[in-house]
Amino acid sequence: MENYALWLILALLLLAAVFLPRWGLRSLVRRRLAAQQRERVEDALKTALDQQWENRPLSLRGLADYLHLSEQAAQRLVESMQAQGLLSLRGSDLALTPEGERTALQVMRAHRLLERYLAYEARMPLEKIHREAHRMEHTLTPAQVNEMEAAMGFPSRDPHGDPIPSLSGQLPAGTSTLLTEWKANLPARIIHLEDEPPLAYAQILAEGLHLGQVVRILEATPERYLLSDGENEYRLAPAVAANISVEPLEETILTGEGILPLNELDHDQKAEIVSLDEACQGFTRRRFLDLGLTPGTIIFPELLNSFGDPRAYRVRGTLIALRKEQAAQIWVRPTTEASA
Amino acid sequence: MTTPPQASETFSAYDLLAYADKLRPQLGENFRDTIVNSLYSEAEAIARRAVHQKGDRRYDLDQRIDRIVTSPIFGLPIMLLLLAAVFWLTIVAANVPSQLLATALFWVEAQAAALFDGLGIPWWITGFIWHGVFRGLAWVVSVMLPPMAIFFPAFTILEDLGYLPRVAFNLDFLFKKAGAHGKQALTMAMGFGCNAAGVIATRVIDSPRERLIAILTNNFVPCNGRFPTLIMLATVFVAAAFPPAFASFAAAGAVLVVVLIGIFFTLVVSWALSRTVLKGQASAFTLELPPYRVPNIPRILYTSLIDRTLFVLLRALGTAAPAGAIIWLLANINVDGVSLANHVASFLNPFGLLLGLDGVILLAYIIAIPANEIVVPTMLMVYMGTGMMTDVGSYDSLRTLLVDGNGWTMLTAINLMLFSLLHNPCGTTILTIRKETNSWKWAGFSVVITLGLAFLVTFLTASLARLLGWG
Amino acid sequence: MPTLKFNPDNCANCPANAQLAQMGVKIEAFDRVVALAGNPNTGKSTVFNALTGLNQHTGNWPGKTVTRAEGGFVFNHVSYKLVDLPGTYSLLSASQDEEVARNFILFGQPDCTIVVTDATALERNLNLALQVMEITDQVVVAVNLMDEARRKGMEVDTRSLSRDLGVPAIPIVARTGEGMQTLLMTMEQVISGAIKTRPRRVQGTPEFQRAVDELSPQIQRLLPQVANPRWLAIRLLDGDSRVQEALLSGELIELAGAQRRADTQFSQKIALGGRQ
Ligand SMILES: Nc1nc2c(ncn2[C@@H]2O[C@H](COP(=O)(O)OP(=O)(O)O)[C@@H](O)[C@H]2O)c(=O)[nH]1
Ligand SMILES: [Mg+2]
Repeated sequence: MENYALWLILALLLLAAVFLPRWGLRSLVRRRLAAQQRERVEDALKTALDQQWENRPLSLRGLADYLHLSEQAAQRLVESMQAQGLLSLRGSDLALTPEGERTALQVMRAHRLLERYLAYEARMPLEKIHREAHRMEHTLTPAQVNEMEAAMGFPSRDPHGDPIPSLSGQLPAGTSTLLTEWKANLPARIIHLEDEPPLAYAQILAEGLHLGQVVRILEATPERYLLSDGENEYRLAPAVAANISVEPLEETILTGEGILPLNELDHDQKAEIVSLDEACQGFTRRRFLDLGLTPGTIIFPELLNSFGDPRAYRVRGTLIALRKEQAAQIWVRPTTEASA
Repeated sequence: MTTPPQASETFSAYDLLAYADKLRPQLGENFRDTIVNSLYSEAEAIARRAVHQKGDRRYDLDQRIDRIVTSPIFGLPIMLLLLAAVFWLTIVAANVPSQLLATALFWVEAQAAALFDGLGIPWWITGFIWHGVFRGLAWVVSVMLPPMAIFFPAFTILEDLGYLPRVAFNLDFLFKKAGAHGKQALTMAMGFGCNAAGVIATRVIDSPRERLIAILTNNFVPCNGRFPTLIMLATVFVAAAFPPAFASFAAAGAVLVVVLIGIFFTLVVSWALSRTVLKGQASAFTLELPPYRVPNIPRILYTSLIDRTLFVLLRALGTAAPAGAIIWLLANINVDGVSLANHVASFLNPFGLLLGLDGVILLAYIIAIPANEIVVPTMLMVYMGTGMMTDVGSYDSLRTLLVDGNGWTMLTAINLMLFSLLHNPCGTTILTIRKETNSWKWAGFSVVITLGLAFLVTFLTASLARLLGWG
Repeated sequence: MPTLKFNPDNCANCPANAQLAQMGVKIEAFDRVVALAGNPNTGKSTVFNALTGLNQHTGNWPGKTVTRAEGGFVFNHVSYKLVDLPGTYSLLSASQDEEVARNFILFGQPDCTIVVTDATALERNLNLALQVMEITDQVVVAVNLMDEARRKGMEVDTRSLSRDLGVPAIPIVARTGEGMQTLLMTMEQVISGAIKTRPRRVQGTPEFQRAVDELSPQIQRLLPQVANPRWLAIRLLDGDSRVQEALLSGELIELAGAQRRADTQFSQKIALGGRQ
């Protein structure tokens, strides 16, 4: 008798475990599948958009390769996306429908905003953000993406320098040149570091190159590129250098006589802040502004740490200590007057 | 040009947001910059009209002091000297009051116990109340109160002067190398008072990653609850090896060395964390160095004595009373003719010896998990618990008790100092970490790192000492 | 109850009955809420301690106060709850502290906000004062550390300051209590409306001005009773998610409709929620 009761309870428990609305196995599996489907669709859209921008055709086979899917799975995916009106077939090539392109832009938008958020607000290491953003981009609702954008003050570029599409799918304009096509000895600002393939990206980061840095090509040979930012030299293989895009310096920085980063200012030399570097974004920029490091402010180094770093600067009547890396993000113009 | 939404009855909050969204692109990307710029230029103009500088005395004195206390040659030595001076003051000035308090309180204990006996009250009631609970309290008061009453005000004076940010400034290069935030030095300074307070003070660090590093390593700063242990050991073992004239300096030096070892481990663990579990970029480091201000001495005395000292003391007493009771019970409940305390201690003994300590010390640390303050009292009570009543009001008799009575060596003393420096945070601090990080995982992790390191380091020194033949 | 002795020189026109009584933590029933805002290290906690008789820790390093403290005092038979906010450089929400401070000034609706400033670094301090004045009209600026300013040979003309800011600016030395009586009387008058403040509002660039001017009327249309449409407009243009949320959830509408009563349930709710 007791045995029956025991079995009955077990059976009920088992049923509950499988069919419970929220925590049951069945709904867990279903949710997992739905999430997986969303991820695949979104990745397919991004791939198609990338190919379209590069003017390269995308075949079913190619898509399967990009997404690491079997051809049958890719076939099923494409069919379901066609049914949703996201993809269409042009001959044997896949093409995005206008609706598909719009959705793809939104996925890209989420991805790039996330990258920016992770890099500047959560301060995650740059080589990690792509993977993390890729994982998270499929879980955000559009409202969350918009909120994130607003919280960061509507940025226009991600940490690699790629443009972030706006809610309506607009892309901010910008001109960039590959470093390999840039003239030697002419200073340029790094505005994009391509994060694919990861190995090349890791190399760039390991060298210590970063967005917003102003560099010159000292030497370009088929074997290597030698760059300098005035302080350090960087060696790169040409294949890796091709992953870096640069832009000419803005007029002010070029023509502005004697503008230099704050960390290079002589001890006790008074200077006027010209601007905060474009690469200084997010939390750091807001903090600098709030401390009164605004253009036009007079600043001078007053105290030197035993080891040369950090230095303390007198600004608006207060002594503020900054590390070298932070000071390097503030452009100043020395005034003729000495502080002492 | 954006047109305002049509006047209608259905203008909602959503429409308002949408309208703001439409206006925003006209403002350019760095709208925030514009706002702050105009705020500051306005502030500048107003201030210029209102403030008039007479003469040129503005930063003179401050600047001169700053040049010295942050100078490449004197900066770090001055820091160490100040710290050593505070320790020395604490050791020297606390010595006599401590002994007086101990003598007085133990006299009270003896008198009261005698009175109870005279009244015919059963021995176990007398023992539990007077030799248990009261003795626990007496120990804590006499061991802790005098050092705290001196250390807190002395340290607060440095704080009120404005010296602490300069320390952070001087030490930042180390924290930078360790991948941590320079303000961690400020939170460590707070940790000298109480590690729980140090953990709360980490809120000054904005970056969550660097803040976690500061939280997890704060325990490597010996808090006030652990100072009495360090001071006692430094006095009984280190200072005893020096001529009396230098004894107090030697003791202060020993405490300073322990603190430096703590800083060393803070940096090493921060370094390890920032390269593994808490990997990431350095965040913006901005540290304001406020002008020096003359400390407000009466206020400092008031807050540090009434507020801090009393607060910490009450907390310690709250745990000392039950701990005293537990120890008395352990020492007086016999199983197979041996007291429970001895059972537990001899069970822990092999492990303790492996670490260069002994079973009683480990037992004391287990009982003292809620508050580190009661480690020394617990230890002494267990050592004396078997009824042998020694007068340990003076450091000499303490030495006799530990060395002759219980086989302590220099290694025991050194390892106990190290263990006391490195072992797990007290209960309050663990709870505070849990609250500040909102996760049991990090709280648990802080225990794992500290205990692991404490075991490892003491085990290594003990093994090394034995290899060299002076264990 | 302990009463503070003030230097009578600084209180030439004090009515004889102007009396301060420190109430410590006894703040169950209060008539008014007053907030202390300001940059780090300007002496907010010192002012707080002087008024309430409490022992909020003070220390000469920015970031000493990381939690919010509350206390009470009675002045001229009116009881006040005083809230010591964490020190911030700005209210534009860069960090948690700033969020706490700003949310209290905005949603806690104090009857008066005293901005404690450092006389020796006014420029930096006024930046915050201007931001507080964007949020609320009920502001008194306390120019603290006057002794330090004198020591450094600086003269601070608080009249010119008051005129430029459009709110009263009172010189004080929180440590000795100098000027505190005047500060309290001014605070009382600002709350009662006897002093009408006209806070200076920052102009900004023409585009900024145009956008704000376009958005403000819309805000007034939606929330006719709101006291600071301009500030809301700026926050919305800046994409401040906390304000957007408050707007959508109706929190702002509720606030705008509420009478300026100190003991509204709401301010108590916020006060409790914000306490660590
Ligand atoms: N000389 C002087 N020092 C003051 C005065 N008010 C505050 N202080 C000191 O300034 C420091 C910072 O004060 P505190 O109240 O903690 O500032 P808070 O961070 O704004 O709360 C402390 O060392 C105070 O003793 C004052 O009026 N004169
Ligand atoms: Mg404070």
